[in-house]
Amino acid sequence: MTDEKNSLEAISDALASAVEKAGSATVSVNARRRYPASGVAFNADLILTADHVVEREEDISVTLPDGSTVKAVVAGRDPSSDLAVLRLERPAPTLAEKAAVPARVGQLVLALGRPGSEGIQASLGVVSAIGGPIRTGRGGMLEQYLRTDAIPYPGFSGGPLVNAAGQVLGINTSGLARGASLAIPAALAWGLADTLAQHGHIRRGFLGVRSQPVSIPAAQQSTLGREQESGLLLVGVESNSPAEAGGLLVGDIIVGIAGQPVGDPDELFASLSGPVVGVSTPVEVLRGGRRETIAVTIGERK
Amino acid sequence: MDWTNLAADLDEAMAALAQGVQTSLVVVHNGKRGAGAGVVWKTGGLVITNFHVVEQRGRISIGRNSRHTAAASLGVTLPDGSEAPARLVSQAPALDLALLQVDGLASPPAPIGDSRQAKVGQVVFAAGHPWGQRGSISAGVISAFDEARSDQTSVPIIRSDVLLGPGNSGGPLVDASGRVLGINTMIVGGDQGVAIPSHVVEAFINEQLVSREPATPPTTSPGAHSDGDWM
Repeated sequence: MTDEKNSLEAISDALASAVEKAGSATVSVNARRRYPASGVAFNADLILTADHVVEREEDISVTLPDGSTVKAVVAGRDPSSDLAVLRLERPAPTLAEKAAVPARVGQLVLALGRPGSEGIQASLGVVSAIGGPIRTGRGGMLEQYLRTDAIPYPGFSGGPLVNAAGQVLGINTSGLARGASLAIPAALAWGLADTLAQHGHIRRGFLGVRSQPVSIPAAQQSTLGREQESGLLLVGVESNSPAEAGGLLVGDIIVGIAGQPVGDPDELFASLSGPVVGVSTPVEVLRGGRRETIAVTIGERK
Repeated sequence: MDWTNLAADLDEAMAALAQGVQTSLVVVHNGKRGAGAGVVWKTGGLVITNFHVVEQRGRISIGRNSRHTAAASLGVTLPDGSEAPARLVSQAPALDLALLQVDGLASPPAPIGDSRQAKVGQVVFAAGHPWGQRGSISAGVISAFDEARSDQTSVPIIRSDVLLGPGNSGGPLVDASGRVLGINTMIVGGDQGVAIPSHVVEAFINEQLVSREPATPPTTSPGAHSDGDWM
């Protein structure tokens, strides 16, 4: 009886353990003039952090949970998703565990940070909302974000948002959406981080068109063979652009790219992210009331 | 542990915790507007609160009930609503702590936890009277172990994400078992929970009890005589 814990005590213990576990992979990132920010050890010698806290490219260091400080260089950065990857001189001892199950609204979460040498810091909350896609600064787009009511203490940017088991659900940042505290979902962040570590930047596709959304009449929807109420009418095709080279014309209505329906600018933007860059990609259009598929080699946005 | 009735079990655990915490929680009046909280720390009527709750700032202070007599302006309201006069035994402005004596106090002392064993992320509750709401409980987790530094001193503090309001000062921060881990103070933390750890409070009290003398008038708090003359 004396050792038996009630549910409240059990939850308290679980949360403290979650902090201990995830905190062992949460580091302090010294790359700006003010107080340090946070980062997550996600792969051998690689640290995932927020891009906006990396204010300089040189003289960067990372303080590990054991208090030792390791030099680091920028391996890659992506201002539009506010993620950066740092490469350590030697590997971090403990890596973060990515949650296998994505975040759910209402789920208990802890925001973690290590904005100094005093140790790990945490705040408790729930996943308040899952949103996206949102446009970020510099023409970027984030497919999905998490919003939480856990307090984002100063220096928490770049740190993990974890579940009650200490698994990472997202990377916290106040650098997107004008200071509001969001988290970039772990699956998305890990994927972007791998690309950053490999290529140094995120490749985003470029077509070279100006467009506006138009509704598609029922008769033409039947031509498409699916219910899709809108498409993007091309009102401009840039000279020497991938669109022109592929043969897209003013007046075409784009309805799909690479097999995915495209009905508004956000979907167009999302369809141009990732693996399509530099690749001949089927662009589905309505041209003169008929459905046509045109192969366009997607360019890279500079 | 059987989790099938987790929500109900949790409700029960929280209600029991709140009830337990409230039995050792008092309102501390200093004869001015506003009030703070206090915790019955030891049997014999020893109550801990914040120094700034009982601070007199050297100005004239008039008892709530008696403008013309020398009635003590320090007093507490007990959980059952009854009121009792309190006497300042000792104070530590640097720690924002004050020890009060309430004669005839029957409330049981709060169970005291070891703040040195506390962990970031563990669940904590603050009890107090924010904005005058008696016996209010709010929940959060320990956010950090830190130090509040001033020119000369450095005081260990527990930061939490528990939201505090005026009237939480001097009240307890308790763990999931209802044991006091610290005394909330709003001097350094704004509306964010900052507590003086219980081991610091224990050290302060033990020091006072070992070297206990007839209460001496504290230099920074003129008029804090044991006879209750605040004039």
